[in-house]
Amino acid sequence: MKWLRQQLPLLLLLAVSLGVSYLLWRHEQENAATTMQAELDAELRNASASITQRLVAYEQMLRGVQGLFAATGSVGRKEFRAYVDALQLGADFAGIEGVGIALLVPTAQKSAHVAALREQGFPDYAIRPDGEREHYAPIVQVEPFIGENRHVLGFDPFAAGPRRAAMEQARDSGNAAITAKTRLITQAAGDDGAGFVMFLPIYKDGSPHDSVEARRASLIGWVFAPLEMNSLMASLYGEAVLATDLRIYDGVTPSEHTLMYRRAAAGDMQENAQKNAPESAPFEATEYLQIAGHPWTLVVGMLPGFAARGGVDKSQLIGVSGIGLSLLLALLVWQQRTGRRRAIALARHMTQELRESETRFRRMAQYDTLTEVPNRALFSDRLRQAITHARRDQTRLALLYIDLDSFKPINDTFGHHAGDQVLREAARRMQDCVRESDTVGRIGGDEFAVLLNIVEDEHDAFAVAEKIRQSLNAPLALEGNRVSSISSSIGIAIYPEHGSDDAQLSRNADDAMYSAKALGRNNAQFCSLKS
Amino acid sequence: MHRYFRRLFFLAALCATGLASAAGPDCSRPLTLALHEHGLLYSQSTGTGIDKDFADELIRRSGCKITVTVMQRARIWQLIESGALDFSLSGITNEARDKYAAFAWYFANKYYLLVRSDARVQQVADFENDAKLQLGAIRGFRYSRNANHLVDRLNAERRVSYSSGLEPLYAVLASNRIQGMIIEPFDYSQITGSSIRDFTKIVDTHDDPVPHGLIMSKRAIAAGEQQKWRDLVDGMRADGTTLRIFEKYFSPDLARAMVNF
Repeated sequence: MKWLRQQLPLLLLLAVSLGVSYLLWRHEQENAATTMQAELDAELRNASASITQRLVAYEQMLRGVQGLFAATGSVGRKEFRAYVDALQLGADFAGIEGVGIALLVPTAQKSAHVAALREQGFPDYAIRPDGEREHYAPIVQVEPFIGENRHVLGFDPFAAGPRRAAMEQARDSGNAAITAKTRLITQAAGDDGAGFVMFLPIYKDGSPHDSVEARRASLIGWVFAPLEMNSLMASLYGEAVLATDLRIYDGVTPSEHTLMYRRAAAGDMQENAQKNAPESAPFEATEYLQIAGHPWTLVVGMLPGFAARGGVDKSQLIGVSGIGLSLLLALLVWQQRTGRRRAIALARHMTQELRESETRFRRMAQYDTLTEVPNRALFSDRLRQAITHARRDQTRLALLYIDLDSFKPINDTFGHHAGDQVLREAARRMQDCVRESDTVGRIGGDEFAVLLNIVEDEHDAFAVAEKIRQSLNAPLALEGNRVSSISSSIGIAIYPEHGSDDAQLSRNADDAMYSAKALGRNNAQFCSLKS
Repeated sequence: MHRYFRRLFFLAALCATGLASAAGPDCSRPLTLALHEHGLLYSQSTGTGIDKDFADELIRRSGCKITVTVMQRARIWQLIESGALDFSLSGITNEARDKYAAFAWYFANKYYLLVRSDARVQQVADFENDAKLQLGAIRGFRYSRNANHLVDRLNAERRVSYSSGLEPLYAVLASNRIQGMIIEPFDYSQITGSSIRDFTKIVDTHDDPVPHGLIMSKRAIAAGEQQKWRDLVDGMRADGTTLRIFEKYFSPDLARAMVNF
């Protein structure tokens, strides 16, 4: 809880910067969505304008034929062919399978009509489908008269179906009309492409056609053009925007059944697009076209590659960088906030370590590392101080030099480890035999010295020496259940009787120790100088 | 005295009109006029409509050779702006259009919101505030103030489906892919005479009637000529021809309300 309170400003900062990043990310996402939708809308408007204009061009072309009838009254087979040839329906009119004429034939004139056509060089001519109808509108000429177009003569589009509906609409309005999606009669067996037919009415020259009734009365036939949707669209969309999916449906209800054309994608994206294109893309634009009185639905959808195409959507980049920068900012602020505290803690820790190491080094310089009693240097120092105090207070002190007898054989027999153990135990026993104010020191390999700061007389000193000697005599347990025993030779010098300074006192104590050794070891001897 | 001046003024006005019509518009080149399919204004399936009648009468009175074609409304405005098209009919103005088009008003009407009854919309704001509702609109169309506001806001929210004509929008409304569209009195007959009436209702936009008129391309028709055409249109209103045309399609009351604005 305390931690949470301490870190509250930092958490707030992190929350705010992440919040700002989130808002930027959302904003960019919305921007990208708007841009993409606008691009789709533009693509859709382009598509709808191109299609409309193309169909207006077809209508205009048919109006030319209509004009030919208006100009000449009746058009001969040869003239019509020449006219269509002169139109040069090339790539600009891609999708047109031909231009034809369907003549309105009342039942009464059916036989005469068939006979006339047969006479014109089509002996097999017959109106299809057969049957009695009030009016027939057989196709009497199609140009260019090649390929499948040769087989359409006599076909009556007015018999039924979407063609009849469009022909009636054209007849009544005087304008162009197109059929619903249909299969063209010239279409090859395996060809699944959609098509439609555009009709324009032809009225008797000079007769009025300013009302529906007048138009019906003066109708002599239709000029028409069958159109193949895929060819038409292919010629329109040479420079389509990549990664968009354009679909055209007949009517206003999009379905597989009404689909007239689909451009999934262009170029190398096609395969990918077809695999991934959902039926309804996340971004789509729909427009309804009213073409020659007939509705079409145009849908432009975005394919997966659309957003990446122009680097439109940078929201991901903004999101990732935003999170990264927020974390970095929080880290920097955290460092700044906690830097001083962490520096103080570090300094304290280092000071502590320094002190400990100083203490360790000081101890190493003054104490014997094995027995942990003062070494020669510290011992000498304490001896000098003690002499100074004794001199000032006119008291006495005693200096004992103690050498462990026969220490070398223990080392040789049991090894250095055992020797070390003996030295440690000897030092401990010596410390146990003296007062706390007294000092035990190790001054050489197996040589120890004891400083008794205040002694009344020689007896005091001797008593301590004896106590030490006897203490050292006690058996000593070594590792591995082994027992050893040692003895000691002790030399005693008293200040001021046996020396007025530390050097003299030490020398005399040392001499006394050698005397003790000479007297058979395991005893304590006073300095031989008489006070 | 007062009566004398009024008589003098009347005579002067008569002379001025006489002179203007005597001068008439310049017919030295073939002119172009475009109709668009929209309810009673013009129907391509019958080849009739108010605009068609109005155009026929205007052509007759002007004595000019005018080629009449049918095209989408958006394309009409584009061509008027470029000067490739001289005239169109039943146009309303706004700031942008004023820059390239001149008008000769001959009727005014209100705009309404036609909504599906099941959309539970009582007023325009209900439609605007329900994010699920989609609006259908005709590309290139502008409406009255509140209707424009609705279309623009929904367009920004990607809630508008566009069409090049009115007919497909009725079908889309019936299939519930849009729930509303802006309509004018010309569209009533299509609504009341079909099944659309059964599932829709009309919501008032509370806008004033908007004047509609002959659209003249400023690029194609010089200012002086524009006034001559305006005089012709005014003449058709003054002698009752416009009212008679409207009475062919509307009840006398509605026809009068539209023509006498």
